[in-house]
Amino acid sequence: MQAKKESPPRIKRRNYFNIIRTIFGILVAAYVVWRLYTVLVVEQQYTPDIWIRLLIAGLIIGGVYSLVAIGYTLVYGILFMINFAHGEVMMIGMFAGYFFLEATKSIQTASGLNFSNAHPVITVLLAFVIGMTVASTTGFFLEKIAYRPLRKAPRLIPLISAIGASIFLQNAAQLLFSPQVRDYANPSVINRGIGWPVTIAGANITISYTGALTFGMSILLMIGLYWLVQKTKLGKAMRAVALDKKTAALMGIDVDAIISRTFIISGALAGAAGVMWGFHNGITYFYVGFLPGIKAFTAAVLGGIGNIPGAMLGGMFLGLIESIAPTALGISYQLKDVIAFVILIVILIFRPSGILGEVLSEEKV
Amino acid sequence: MNRQLFRASSQKGITFGIVLIFLVLINFHIMAATMISKLMGTNVLRGAIPEVRFLTYFLVFFGIWIGWSAASKSEKAGTRVLQGLVAGLSMGVVVALFDLILVYLLQTQTDMRRYLTNLGFDNINFFLQGFGANGILVHLGMFVLSGVVGSVLEIFFQSEGVANSKQAVRNFLAESKDQILDRLPDLVKKTGKYLFYLILLVLLFMLPSRWGSYYNFVFGLVGLYVIAGIGLNIMLGLSGQFMIGLAAFFAMGAYSVALLNAPQPHGLMWGFWPALLIGILAAVIVAILMGLPTARLRGDYLGIVTLGFGEIVRLLLQSDVLSKFTGGPRGIQNIQGPTLMGKPFNDVTYMYLILICMAVSIFLYYRLEKSRTGRAWLAIKEDLIVAQATGVNIQKYRLLALCIGAAFAGLAGGIFAARNLFTGPNDHTFMVSINILSLIIVGGMNSIPGILLGAFTLKGLPEILREIENYRLLVFGALLVVMMLVRPEGLWPASRPNLEHEVKEKIMKDKALSEEESDA
Repeated sequence: MQAKKESPPRIKRRNYFNIIRTIFGILVAAYVVWRLYTVLVVEQQYTPDIWIRLLIAGLIIGGVYSLVAIGYTLVYGILFMINFAHGEVMMIGMFAGYFFLEATKSIQTASGLNFSNAHPVITVLLAFVIGMTVASTTGFFLEKIAYRPLRKAPRLIPLISAIGASIFLQNAAQLLFSPQVRDYANPSVINRGIGWPVTIAGANITISYTGALTFGMSILLMIGLYWLVQKTKLGKAMRAVALDKKTAALMGIDVDAIISRTFIISGALAGAAGVMWGFHNGITYFYVGFLPGIKAFTAAVLGGIGNIPGAMLGGMFLGLIESIAPTALGISYQLKDVIAFVILIVILIFRPSGILGEVLSEEKV
Repeated sequence: MNRQLFRASSQKGITFGIVLIFLVLINFHIMAATMISKLMGTNVLRGAIPEVRFLTYFLVFFGIWIGWSAASKSEKAGTRVLQGLVAGLSMGVVVALFDLILVYLLQTQTDMRRYLTNLGFDNINFFLQGFGANGILVHLGMFVLSGVVGSVLEIFFQSEGVANSKQAVRNFLAESKDQILDRLPDLVKKTGKYLFYLILLVLLFMLPSRWGSYYNFVFGLVGLYVIAGIGLNIMLGLSGQFMIGLAAFFAMGAYSVALLNAPQPHGLMWGFWPALLIGILAAVIVAILMGLPTARLRGDYLGIVTLGFGEIVRLLLQSDVLSKFTGGPRGIQNIQGPTLMGKPFNDVTYMYLILICMAVSIFLYYRLEKSRTGRAWLAIKEDLIVAQATGVNIQKYRLLALCIGAAFAGLAGGIFAARNLFTGPNDHTFMVSINILSLIIVGGMNSIPGILLGAFTLKGLPEILREIENYRLLVFGALLVVMMLVRPEGLWPASRPNLEHEVKEKIMKDKALSEEESDA
C-alpha cells in the first residue's frame, strides 16, 4: 500500500489580473443589464417592426463582415499574422466594381437603354467577377511583395509591413482616384431603397433588393468557400498547411503556392464584399475599407480566429449587435463603432479563443 | 548566354515600367520634374507644369537606374551591357504600350479624369514630351539607350575583386572614413564625440531665435514627435509591448491642457503648468485603465486592442455624447498657453520649451534604459517565460512601461495643444499613432539618434519639401514595407549588442570549431 501523499504546500499568490478581470466583467454586464432594462422595460418606446428592421439591416451588414472576416481567418490560420491590409483589398474590389458599372452606363445598346439597364443581371454578375478578380490580384501581389520575404521574421515585422501596405494602398487609391466620395452606380432595377414590401406585425417593411442581393450572395459565397475548403484537394492542402507547414511540405504540398492561393481566395471574398458594400451602402472612397476591415477582424476574433465557421458566425453576430445594440442600449447611433471596439476588447480579455475557436496556447495570444 | 539572367532583367524592366506608369498616374513625375527644375534654379509656380526637359531628366535617370541595377548581377562586361539593353527594352515596351493608350485617349478626346483624376490632356501631352504620337518611339528609344548607358556605367566600377558598384561605393566610403580618421589629431579623436555634442547644443540654443518662425514651427513639431516617440519606444522597444494606440495618450495630454485653459466649454483658467501636469497624470491613468485588462495579451493582439482603445477615445471625443464636456467635433479653440514674465510664449520660447523637454526625456530615457527597471524590461522583451522564472514581476513592469511611455506622450500632447492654440478630435486620429510608430521603426528602435533621425525624415522633411506633401502618406506606407524588407533594424540602429544573436553566433562558431577538430 502506498502511503497517502501529503499534498505539497500551495503557494498562495494573489492574481490581480483575475480580480481586475472579474471586476471589469461585472461592470460591463451591469451596464448592459441596466441599459437593457431602461430601454426595454421602462421606456418601451420601440414597436416590434423597428426591431425587425434592425435585425434585417444587421443580417445584411453581417454577411459582408463575414466575408471579410473569413479572409482574416484564412490568412491567420496559415501564417499567424493579421493581414492588416485586408480592408484595403476590399476597397480596391469596390473601386473595380464601381469603374465597371460606370463603364457599362456609358455603353449604349440597340434598345436605346445603356448596357447596365438593358442587362442588369449580366452587369451585376460581371461586376462581382471583376471586383473579385481585381481584389484577388491585389491580394496575390500583396503577399508576394510585402509578406513572403518576411516569412521567417519575428511576428511583429510582417504586421508592421502589413500596416505599411495598408497605408500605401489607401493613399495610392486616393491619389489615383481622387479623394472625392462617389455614388455607386447601381443598375436602375436595383436602385437603393426599392424592394419588396412586406407586412410584419401590422407595419410595412421594405426588404430592399440590394439587401437581398447582398445577403444571398454572401451566403452563396460562404457555402462555396466551405465546399472548397472541406471537399476539394486545394482545401485539403490548405488545412494541412494550416496545421503544420513542415509536415505538409514533406507530404509534397507546395506551401508557398498554397499560401498564395489562400491570399487569392481571401482577396476574392473581400472583393465580393466590397462590391456588395458598394451596392448596398452606395458610396465609395479611398478610406472606406479601413473601418469594415477592423470590424471584420473583430468578427474573426469573435468567432475564434483561424476558424472558418467561427468567422461566418462572428460576422453575422457582429453585424446584428452593431445594428441592434445602439437602439437596445439607448446609446447614440454615432457610437456604433465604439461598440465594435468594445466587443473586441471584451472578447480578447475574457475568451481570446472566441466563440468557436480552439483554445489557443498563451504563446499564440 | 544565360537565359535566366535575361529573364531576370526583363522582369526587372517590366516591374520598373509598371512602377513608372503608377508614378505617372499619381502625378508623381510632375512633382519630380518640378523638384529637378527648382534644383536647377528655374522656379515653378505651385500647380503649374514645369518645362518638358526636366521630365526628360527624370525619365533618363529612371532608365539609367534600371540599366544599372539590372547589370550589377552578372560577371562579363558583354553580358552586362546586354542585360541593360534587355531591361531597358522591356521597360520601354511597357511604357510604350501605356503611351499607346494615352495617344488613343488624346486622339479620341476621351476624358478619363472622372476615373483617374490625373489623366488630363495637359498631363498626357506633358508625359509624351510634346511629341504626340511620336512620343511612343521617343520613349522606347530613350529607355533602351539609357538602360545601355546605365549598364556601361556599371562596367566602369568593375575591377579586380569588386563585383559591382554597390561594393565599390561601400569600399570607397570605408577607405575615406579611415583616411579622415588617420589625419585627425589625437585630441579631436578623443574628445570628438563630446565636441560634436557641444557644437550641437550651442547650435540648438542659438538657432531658434535666428531662423524664423516657420522653421521653429517645423522643428517644434519634430521635437514633439521625438518626445512621443521616446514614449512609444519605452513601450515597444524596451519592454516589447506592441502599441498602436499612442494617440489616446497624446489626446489626454492635449485635451487636459485645452479644457483647463480655454474660454470654451468650461472657462477654467488654471494656467498651463498645472494643466500639463494633470494632462500627464490623465495619460498615465488611461494607460493603467488600458494596461490592466490587457495584461495577458501579447504581440499583434495587443496591438489591435490598443488600436481599438485609441479609436474609442477619438470616437468619444468626436461624438455628441461628450460634446458638452469636450467641445465635440469642433474641438477647443483659443487655448491659453504658458507665460514667461507676463508675456505669452511665442514660437521661440516654445521651441526652447520643447528643446528642454526633449533633453529631459532623452536623459530620463537613458537613465531608465540603464537602470534595474530597464534590465527587467529587456528580460521581458527577450523572453517572457524566462523573465518570469528569474523573478521579474511581468505584469508590474509591463504596466510601468505603459505608464511611463504614456506620460511622455501626454507631455508631447499638452505642449502640442498649447502651441497650436487649438485641439480637436482630428488631431488624434489613427494616423498620429502610425506616424509615431513609423518614426521609431524607420529611425531605429532603442536608439535615440535613430528616433531623432526618424522624426526629422518623417515629420520635418515633408514640411520643408512642400512639393512632396501630397505623397507623404504614400511614401510612409511604402517606407514601412521597404524598411521591413530591407532593413528591419532601422536607419540608425541601436548600438546595444543583440545579445541573443551574438550568443547564437558564438555557439555556431564553437560547433564549427569542434567539428573541424574531430575531422582532423
